[in-house]
Amino acid sequence: MRPFNFIPSATVADAVSASTANPEPRYLGGGTNLIDLMKEDVERPDTVIEVASLDRKEIQRTPSGGLLLGGMLNNTDTANHPDVRKDYPLLTMTMLSAATEQIRNMATNGGNLLQRTRCPYFYETSMPCNKREPGTGCGALNGMNALHAIFGWSEACVAVHPSDMCVALAAIGATVEVAKPDGTSRRIPFTDLHRLPGDEPQRDTILEPGELIVGIELDAPKYADHYYYLKIRERSSYAFALLSVAAGLQVENGRIASAGLAMGGVAHKPWKLTAAEDYLRGKAPETGNFEAAAAIAMQDARPLAENEYKIEMGQRAIVRALEQAYARKA
Amino acid sequence: MTKQATTPAEAVIGQAIDRVDGRLKVTGRAKYASEFPVEGLVYAQGVNSTIAKGDITRIDTAAAEAQPGVIRVITHENALKLASPDADRLELSTTSIAPVLQSPEINWYGEWVAVVVAETIEQAQYAARLVEVEYNRAEPKVDFAQDAGYAPDVQPKYERGDVDAGMAEADERVEVTYRTPVEHHHPMELHAVIAEWEDENLELHLCSQMVNDNAKGIADTFMIPKENVRIIAPFIGGGFGSKLQAQEHVMLAAMAAKMIGRPVQFTVTRQQMFTNTSLRQENLQRMRIGATRDGRLTALVHDTTSHTATNKEYQEPCGAASKMLYKVANNRVNYNLVPINLPYPWAMRAPGEATGSYALECAMDEMAWKLGMDPVEFRILNDTQVDPSNDKPFSSRLLTECLRIGAKKFGWADRPLEPRSRREGNWLVGYGVSAASRQAPLQLSAARVTVYRDGDTVTATVQTDATDIGTGTYTILAQTAADFLGIPVAAVTVQLGDSRFPISPGSGGSWGAASFTNGVRAACMKLMEEIKVAAGTDATEGQGIADLMDDADLSEYAAVGSAAPTEEFKNHSVYSFGANFCEVWVDVDTNMARLKRILTVGAAGTILNPKTAYSQVLGGLVMGHGMAFMEQSKVEKQYGNFITRSLADYHVPVNLDLADVQVVFLPEDDKIANPMGVKGIGELGICGVAGSLANAVFNATGKRMRDLPITPEKLITTKIEPGVTVSR
Ligand SMILES: Cc1cc2nc3c(=O)[nH]c(=O)nc-3n(C[C@H](O)[C@H](O)[C@H](O)COP(=O)(O)OP(=O)(O)OC[C@H]3O[C@@H](n4cnc5c(N)ncnc54)[C@H](O)[C@@H]3O)c2cc1C
Ligand code: SF4
Repeated sequence: MRPFNFIPSATVADAVSASTANPEPRYLGGGTNLIDLMKEDVERPDTVIEVASLDRKEIQRTPSGGLLLGGMLNNTDTANHPDVRKDYPLLTMTMLSAATEQIRNMATNGGNLLQRTRCPYFYETSMPCNKREPGTGCGALNGMNALHAIFGWSEACVAVHPSDMCVALAAIGATVEVAKPDGTSRRIPFTDLHRLPGDEPQRDTILEPGELIVGIELDAPKYADHYYYLKIRERSSYAFALLSVAAGLQVENGRIASAGLAMGGVAHKPWKLTAAEDYLRGKAPETGNFEAAAAIAMQDARPLAENEYKIEMGQRAIVRALEQAYARKA
Repeated sequence: MTKQATTPAEAVIGQAIDRVDGRLKVTGRAKYASEFPVEGLVYAQGVNSTIAKGDITRIDTAAAEAQPGVIRVITHENALKLASPDADRLELSTTSIAPVLQSPEINWYGEWVAVVVAETIEQAQYAARLVEVEYNRAEPKVDFAQDAGYAPDVQPKYERGDVDAGMAEADERVEVTYRTPVEHHHPMELHAVIAEWEDENLELHLCSQMVNDNAKGIADTFMIPKENVRIIAPFIGGGFGSKLQAQEHVMLAAMAAKMIGRPVQFTVTRQQMFTNTSLRQENLQRMRIGATRDGRLTALVHDTTSHTATNKEYQEPCGAASKMLYKVANNRVNYNLVPINLPYPWAMRAPGEATGSYALECAMDEMAWKLGMDPVEFRILNDTQVDPSNDKPFSSRLLTECLRIGAKKFGWADRPLEPRSRREGNWLVGYGVSAASRQAPLQLSAARVTVYRDGDTVTATVQTDATDIGTGTYTILAQTAADFLGIPVAAVTVQLGDSRFPISPGSGGSWGAASFTNGVRAACMKLMEEIKVAAGTDATEGQGIADLMDDADLSEYAAVGSAAPTEEFKNHSVYSFGANFCEVWVDVDTNMARLKRILTVGAAGTILNPKTAYSQVLGGLVMGHGMAFMEQSKVEKQYGNFITRSLADYHVPVNLDLADVQVVFLPEDDKIANPMGVKGIGELGICGVAGSLANAVFNATGKRMRDLPITPEKLITTKIEPGVTVSR
């Protein structure tokens, strides 16, 4: 690892102001991603500002009936909080499918949202990667891309966002609370936080330098009864998803009143299936409708040389996740 | 105090006692190579090439050397001259030399190009990043499937009968190719060494499976007498074959220590263990099997094409079991090796047999299905008590018993013959079977036993250069000495892994337990004989060792003994056998496969300690499961590097993957194998496992998975085999 300055921070204000005083700062949450990347020489921050100990570890009801999750609370305590378990079991199920208990104990909610892609070209500094080093080219585009995107990619980058938690957030609906270096704050709809690569794949999100995630506000709960997170992976735990689907259904009088649907492992951002959600609204919760919704969701897929399998896998996974969600009554 | 009994009330061999070193390990007091507190120790960090083929044109170490704490940067420009191989390509063995930094030539991505030595590990690691290397890059060759290659001397072509006639005679034929990917050993303990010179003498704390062979390899590399090299290796955190030879980093540590005149510690990082500590090669195995309608094999051909490094040679013997496991008159086993720009392959747990048995046992399953026969019965029908490859009788072969008893315990009779015909909700359910065989070698092995008498109490120390790589050597040797000296296990201290101790063959090739225990037994018997003579008695029993030593007026006595294979051993084929039965569920939509349960029945001679034996077989099953469903090192074809670079990408099974594992040992008394009747089990456990799992996947899904590992992406894109009835 390269030498760096380490700055502990006592308050959110300290942390954001420290970020302006240094040329290449990074916030340190649980460090389960950042430290790995520093050891690999992929991230080379000049300054590391510790934020995991900041006092934003709350879980609170919001006036609109949602729930505010502190940005610095760890993934384990978030997933297991009684209010989360009761009202947002989709989030619990999803978060507990990620990584391992040990990593979840360390990982913060803010860090989880901003974890970086697992694209192997991004990790290996001797290979080209536009995200790591803009202008060097995308190694995966014509290389080994079995694990890469089928939606929304550009010639500049075909990486996928690795987080499970974010897939559930996209399905449930949330707003991200961000502290800005000038001391003010702003709120970003969750689905706007992450970007598609376009020609700036080095930017994962719309956050500006120095902006700090301090909270995530979940929309009022709708999917406490019917929910499922389907994660397809090579081993039973401790593996990133090849592909995943978060599905929530609100069923009233035998009709779908609302559907929350998102996919992971398919795009540069958690991939919300808005058209499929719209299609399902008002329909009966039946396999035929689930299949039609999945077909709508998958119609814009553009596979790469090695990931054609994700098309059929995605189609089947959406149907299955919806079936399981409907069958599962909490 | 009561006198120690002549023989303990009950033999301790065969009992499931706890590991005698267990407490040391769980309390962190067992010292591994990198942990020895050596005065004046400094740290080395290796630097790897970032091209797969070409030459170094310039290497700039100035920035690294300018860093605080940096003592020296060693490159091919200033490295010590080491021995060079006789041929262009070095044939790898457990004693082979490992010259390094001898030229600017690059043979694979990640080859060592420099080593940085500094006062602290952090300084060394940081400075290593600052070494600048410029290359003249050539186009690497990492593909080998289409290449003609050459027939390696190490694995000569084997043929009996006439395979073409045998194939012609057959009513049914299976002709298919199976692929297994590059795998990496990844023992838990990183490869590590501390090297220190005193004049022309080199002392190493080294994680080594074979200290005697490694001492030779190191001595030959530095062109010094073997006696000048001392290796200390009391605890080794696994090896799976990767610690059988002293690899290049060991030489780098010793070179650095010599050049700077201080002891040097070198730890290979987990990432570097993908490029610098060997691998299991990718194999393309072409199988051709012929059988008569009534299930008799008429021909069996096993042709393997693999890759080796451009400058080093190794071939795992994939066809080993195909020569001897089944009765078939017409048989050919052939190898083809293609040099490419990947790190050198080397023995990994059950080299050849683990991968070869996947191909053989799947091909047998394919044939059984074609014949409409039960795969258990098909194997039993082709069983043999004579090794067809050399016409020697097997010393003992309980394969049919393993299959029959296993089938009964597993409930094999419930298996639907028709693939894809059993459902549990969204899961397709299948059963699979495979046979397993692993040679049970014995090698010359010596030990020194010293007994100490304090009044009526006798304690003993056993010394041998054998190693305990986590397998339980300390425990089984304590048990052996306890029984043959007639004292409690707690009175025995076992000391291992020092090259100054009597020579053993080391841990590898499944010969460890048999060789070491017979060596210790021989030393104990010799010692008892000599004490009896000194005591002036020829009574064969009655008196305990304390009485005998008392009579002989001895307070301390030592003897060295050894055991070697007998003529009878040489006149037989000596193997362990087993059978694996498993139940696999495959999700009809997601194509995720789950091993629901697996049962292994093994016949491996005397089970010295059911606890350590179970653990060995369990480990083999876990590794076999990994091989079947997830382990693979993927090569980036343009750059020639592995894109699986950490244990986050290189998947090995987790606990949840192996919920229900049952291991059964059949009683087997094989005194032809050796006086202790011990046969190896360290590798038997992995043999055939991947085959049984792939066969269960076929039974569940109707898909023949001929390319490991069997991942959801492959399952979803593989077509159902023609002839399988599809209900959904
Ligand atoms: C072996 C392994 C397996 C894994 N498997 C999975 C898996 O299956 N599914 C899954 O979803 N994840 C998985 N993960 C990833 C894990 O979930 C993330 O590493 C973790 O959530 C990151 O959180 P952290 O607090 O440790 O982030 P850090 O490593 O501290 O930070 C990550 C990034 O976010 C920035 N950052 C941190 N906090 C903030 C903040 N509050 N505001 C602004 N920026 C911030 C950092 O500067 C850094 O760039 C795995 C990780 C590993 C190592
Ligand atoms: S996909 Fe993105 S992260 Fe991967 S190599 Fe291309 S630019 Fe880099």
